[in-house]
Amino acid sequence: MKNKRFLPLIFGLLLLAAFILMAACPQLFTDYGQKEMFQPWSKPDSEHILGTNAMGYDIFTELVYGARQTLLIGVASSILTMLLGTFIGVAAAGKGILAPIFNGLINVFVLLPRLITLIVLASFVGSSQRNLILLISAFSWVGIARNVRAKVIHINGETFIENCTIQGFSRHHIVLHHVIPNLYDVLISRFLLGVNSCIMMESTLSFLGFGDLYYPTWGTMINFAYQRGAFIRQAYSYLLTPGVCIMLLSLSFYFISLWFEGQKDTISEG
Amino acid sequence: MKKYIRNIAVALVCFLVVVVLNFALPRMLPGDPIAYLTGMAEEDMTPAQYAYYEEALHLNESGFRQFIYYIQSLLDGTLGYSYKKEAVVSALIGERVRYTLQITLPAVILSTVIGLFWGLHCGYKKDSLTDRLSTSGLIIFNTVPAFLVGLILVIWFAFKNQWFPYAGLNHPDAVRGTFAYFIDRLHHLCLPVLTLTITTLPSRFLLMRNTARKIADEKYVLYAKTRGLSDHKIKFSYMLKNIAQPFITMVGMSVSACIGGSLVVENIFSVKGMGKLLSEAVYTLDYPLMQGILFVTTGIMVMSIIVTDIACIIIDPKVRLGEYREK
Repeated sequence: MKNKRFLPLIFGLLLLAAFILMAACPQLFTDYGQKEMFQPWSKPDSEHILGTNAMGYDIFTELVYGARQTLLIGVASSILTMLLGTFIGVAAAGKGILAPIFNGLINVFVLLPRLITLIVLASFVGSSQRNLILLISAFSWVGIARNVRAKVIHINGETFIENCTIQGFSRHHIVLHHVIPNLYDVLISRFLLGVNSCIMMESTLSFLGFGDLYYPTWGTMINFAYQRGAFIRQAYSYLLTPGVCIMLLSLSFYFISLWFEGQKDTISEG
Repeated sequence: MKKYIRNIAVALVCFLVVVVLNFALPRMLPGDPIAYLTGMAEEDMTPAQYAYYEEALHLNESGFRQFIYYIQSLLDGTLGYSYKKEAVVSALIGERVRYTLQITLPAVILSTVIGLFWGLHCGYKKDSLTDRLSTSGLIIFNTVPAFLVGLILVIWFAFKNQWFPYAGLNHPDAVRGTFAYFIDRLHHLCLPVLTLTITTLPSRFLLMRNTARKIADEKYVLYAKTRGLSDHKIKFSYMLKNIAQPFITMVGMSVSACIGGSLVVENIFSVKGMGKLLSEAVYTLDYPLMQGILFVTTGIMVMSIIVTDIACIIIDPKVRLGEYREK
């Protein structure tokens, strides 16, 4: 069984490495500058692999430069999500008065209609890149918190925690030094899947036109393509390639997380 | 019983959170609440207008009184007044919500029913070729963003082949109330519903498959198999009953997922539903309208959760027959 998962892992790592390279040094992939103008709406050819857009920018260049913003938002909000989720999950599994409150918080956030709440909040506080990261992570921690809570409750029943308690370590010390290190497998797989859901959330928001226009991501690209009539121009590559990139990026994270998880069954919660 | 009642209570609390959030947002954030509540810039208003709005929105009164006025506007069903569109919010939403439901409900039904039967089959025949193929296929589908699905469908079915219309819910020439109008509507609904179904199906399928997979190891399934019962009988008479409860809960949850998804779908297919209304509200900075939409969607979602929980109570024999009531 172990051997079989190496193939997806290698595939995932290669894909991810390609995207990270794109994000780190976009100049390697394209000869054109981000704002270099050509004939607008030219068809895909050897000069412009994916053609040019309404402003005459090279679409492939735009795609390469979009990787950085997309990855940045995805990874940053996933890290924040993980921190928040771990904190709330551990707190909800404790025994104090706070535990039921955090538990209730988890249950309420599970039910909130995420996308609509996010849109309304984003329009109130303004959708700069920083706000988007904060908002997305403020509404995505529920899955992690639930998993962490279940795992912490499981760990709390183990004998080594009992041993620590008997030896007189404070609860604080036990959580920091004994419980949290044991959460790593949950956290790694949830982090990788969290990047996916954050990227998905961000691209949906950007597609609907609520993204940060100064830092265009792939979602923003599709929104522009759609708004500026790529349908009528039959510039299908402009419409589809950013979406395909999002899909490939999500797949690469998913394949890597598969290897960490060791079993396929835990991906049921999207 | 206790579990379901707790679920309903949590749903109601969630509803309350949204209500309070709606009330607090324009008043807590930096900036003038009047600007938020009317959607107009402060500089564009004359002092007389400003005073009028302050009076009309009760902003000169105490916070508690404001909250009472706000609750009143929710209770009498107006949900506030949109100064941008010069109409009562509930009227604006009421006009649009049926289009959203026309897309959402068929998609909920299709995706949950297909997810149930397919997932049940794959969970029962676990690790068979069908199971492995459909699971890995749908996992890949799960990573496809909703708008990509929509765009591909539009390009293929509406532009390349022109089998389906690409926008709107009715042909402009169609006459309201005729049978042809109804058929035309169905024709227009195909692609949006298909998009929403495809995007929500994978998670439904995976959930059902994993639940069925766990149950397939139970002893009563093994016993049923050794008695020589047909697969059909085992699946639908034995396993279905035992995954009914998670399934019904899932239906309730998928209503809210589908309403979120219909935002994207309505944008792609230019359907004048609630999602489109929300984008219009955001572009014109019509905050009361946005809040009304958030309120209504949360309301629909909470209602669906309460209905499904009551359905769970009704079908659960443990609760119905009262055996474990004391626990």
